[in-house]
Amino acid sequence: MSFDFAFALKIVPRVLEGIGNTLVVAILSFMGASALGFLWEIARRSNRHVRPVMQFVVDAIRSTPVLAQLYFLFYVLPYYGVVLPALVVGVFGLSFYYSGYLSEVFKAGIDLVPRGQGEAAQSLGLSRIHTVIFVIAPQMLRNVAAPLGAYSVSILKATPYLAVLAVPEMLGSAFDVASETYRYAEPMFVAGILFLCLALIAVTLVNWLERYLGVTTPPH
Amino acid sequence: MTSNPTDEQAGMGSIQTVRGGTAVSIENVSKWYGNFQVLRDVNLHVATGERIVVCGPSGSGKSTLIRCVNQLEKHQRGRIVVNGTELRPGTKGLPAIRREVGMVFQQFNLFPHLNVIDNCTLALVRARKLARNAAEAVAMENLTRVRIPEQAKKFPAQLSGGQQQRVAIARALCMKPKIMLFDEPTSALDPEMIKEVLDVMTRLADEGMTMICVTHEMGFAREVADRVIFMDGGEIVEQANPAEFFSNPVQVRTRQFLSQLLH
Amino acid sequence: MTFLQILLGIYEGFGITAIVTVLGLLYAIPFALLAGILQHFSTGAARWVVTATIEFWRSSPVIVLLYAFYYSLPAFGINLSAISVGAMVLGLNIGGYGSQSVRAALQTLNRGQREAGLALGLSRIEVLRFVELPQAIAAMTPTFINQAIQLIKGTSLVSLLTLTDMTFRAKEIAQLSYNPVGVYSGLLVAYLIICYPVTIFGRRLERSAAKGRGASHEF
Ligand SMILES: Nc1ncnc2c1ncn2[C@@H]1O[C@H](COP(=O)(O)OP(=O)(O)O)[C@@H](O)[C@H]1O
Ligand SMILES: [Mg+2]
Repeated sequence: MSFDFAFALKIVPRVLEGIGNTLVVAILSFMGASALGFLWEIARRSNRHVRPVMQFVVDAIRSTPVLAQLYFLFYVLPYYGVVLPALVVGVFGLSFYYSGYLSEVFKAGIDLVPRGQGEAAQSLGLSRIHTVIFVIAPQMLRNVAAPLGAYSVSILKATPYLAVLAVPEMLGSAFDVASETYRYAEPMFVAGILFLCLALIAVTLVNWLERYLGVTTPPH
Repeated sequence: MTSNPTDEQAGMGSIQTVRGGTAVSIENVSKWYGNFQVLRDVNLHVATGERIVVCGPSGSGKSTLIRCVNQLEKHQRGRIVVNGTELRPGTKGLPAIRREVGMVFQQFNLFPHLNVIDNCTLALVRARKLARNAAEAVAMENLTRVRIPEQAKKFPAQLSGGQQQRVAIARALCMKPKIMLFDEPTSALDPEMIKEVLDVMTRLADEGMTMICVTHEMGFAREVADRVIFMDGGEIVEQANPAEFFSNPVQVRTRQFLSQLLH
Repeated sequence: MTFLQILLGIYEGFGITAIVTVLGLLYAIPFALLAGILQHFSTGAARWVVTATIEFWRSSPVIVLLYAFYYSLPAFGINLSAISVGAMVLGLNIGGYGSQSVRAALQTLNRGQREAGLALGLSRIEVLRFVELPQAIAAMTPTFINQAIQLIKGTSLVSLLTLTDMTFRAKEIAQLSYNPVGVYSGLLVAYLIICYPVTIFGRRLERSAAKGRGASHEF
């Protein structure tokens, strides 16, 4: 069976039907991963008994494949009677996986805030939580903006993993076309091109946003 | 103009060169960075065995000038002849020419991933194709010459600034260069380490090495230089032997510079 | 089935996981070095070609690349085994990331290093080989370790091409006995045993590289 370019062109709109889900999954997962990652990092610093535990959790998250984590959630949650739509499970999975990486980003971002800032805030009598919210976090944001931008693209590129949970995002749509037409080459090829374009657009957008906000990678 | 080549000092293959041949000649050399002219029609002839000190305010083109001599910077107009070979854009065999010209940098530029002796032998082994043993013998000889043989197995980061700069000098000497270029070799050093480096340079001068030194160490210039060159705004403003240069500078700019330096 | 039996069952797929990892590295390392060095040195059209190649391999989602190459290549008359496609795609993807570390490491080297090498009479190539690359490679080792972990984890994708790696074994075992908790936590543990030591090793290296960069906040 040779490659049929006309057919490939014809199925582009069909594959594109999944783009809405792709974007929704990417955005939700990015928000979830950021929130969880920040939480891990604050917990890691909260007290010296929690610290090694959280360190292990973060390292363990980063030491297992996202695919295995997705399978785990997808098959284990129903076993305990938690039945969720596959898309939601997928968003949880990606949020969890990337939280391991984002906690490292927040760690570096906080470390770059001069130590005297936290000490000054606490000597003024601010509580720990107020110190974090009003003094550290605002200064940290500048430091994490660029790496967060990079990870937002990584997360976008991880959305097609959800196809293995039969979530109809773009790769999922491509599989639907394939199973209807019994042709795999063209749908997979089209999905490849579309995802490449999407990723390149996202990179351009993130770079533009970084320049617009005037944030660049802080020097190490 | 007092020092003679001395033979009695230990551990040095003394360089018995006859003064009078031309080591470096720089004729009508100009260079631009974009529209900015760094070198303006510079002329300088350095005789074999001559010791030149170049001074001048920051940004006057001193570094650029000596970096043209080993073509780390390319000049755009004029002629530069080093050891009888003219350096043109695209000159073949530049590495071979550079092996005859040692350079010492302000920031030392030792290779941090190599220990002291490997810093010294790298170019001998890779470029001169010397056997490892022979190269190490040369390296030890030159480390002795800069009085630091006991540090041979240490890494640059473990040495003081003065020691690092002496290693850098030894590294350059290993190639048995005919000419040595120094670009502010003591400017990055703490005061107490300046002397140990200047001592090594003085000994080198006594051995008859042809040297072009960019430095603001006026004591060194007085003691060692045959000629002091003053640069400003990319040109050579004045040159004279040290006695004359310091006691009787002709140009206003030179006087201003010297009065700032001495006060 | 006990947990240990499950774990051993999963490790029956270790061979494929290991083979794909090793073959992947054989693609990744040369590609990273070559592309990174070429990108650092080339200019004009050549640089554009190098950059486009790198961006293709690292900007596309790896799972999509895998399917696209696996299913499309035969339609263009190129028949490769699933192992070959998997190793190539995973390797070049990681190599694309690696090339950026190589280039960054070369760029951040002090230019005095290059000048000192040239001033000693080394050729440009010799300076690259004996002065710049050793330092660049040392500087990027922690990053490289992290990328190697990404590759090991990425090999789980070849289960989708029906290769019997660890992930595929887990799915097989899951079909034999209804014990999703045991099987899939077994799968996580199986990867953790392999990758966790490497993660810790990479963290050590990173920390020793960052030593003296100041103390950290505690709340
Ligand atoms: N690569 C470069 N690009 C543009 N300008 C340069 C460059 N290198 C040096 N310059 C400029 O050339 C002038 C002379 O520099 P330099 O030779 O280093 O002076 P000096 O060593 O006397 O302090 C300075 O004004 C400097 O800013
Ligand atoms: Mg200078």
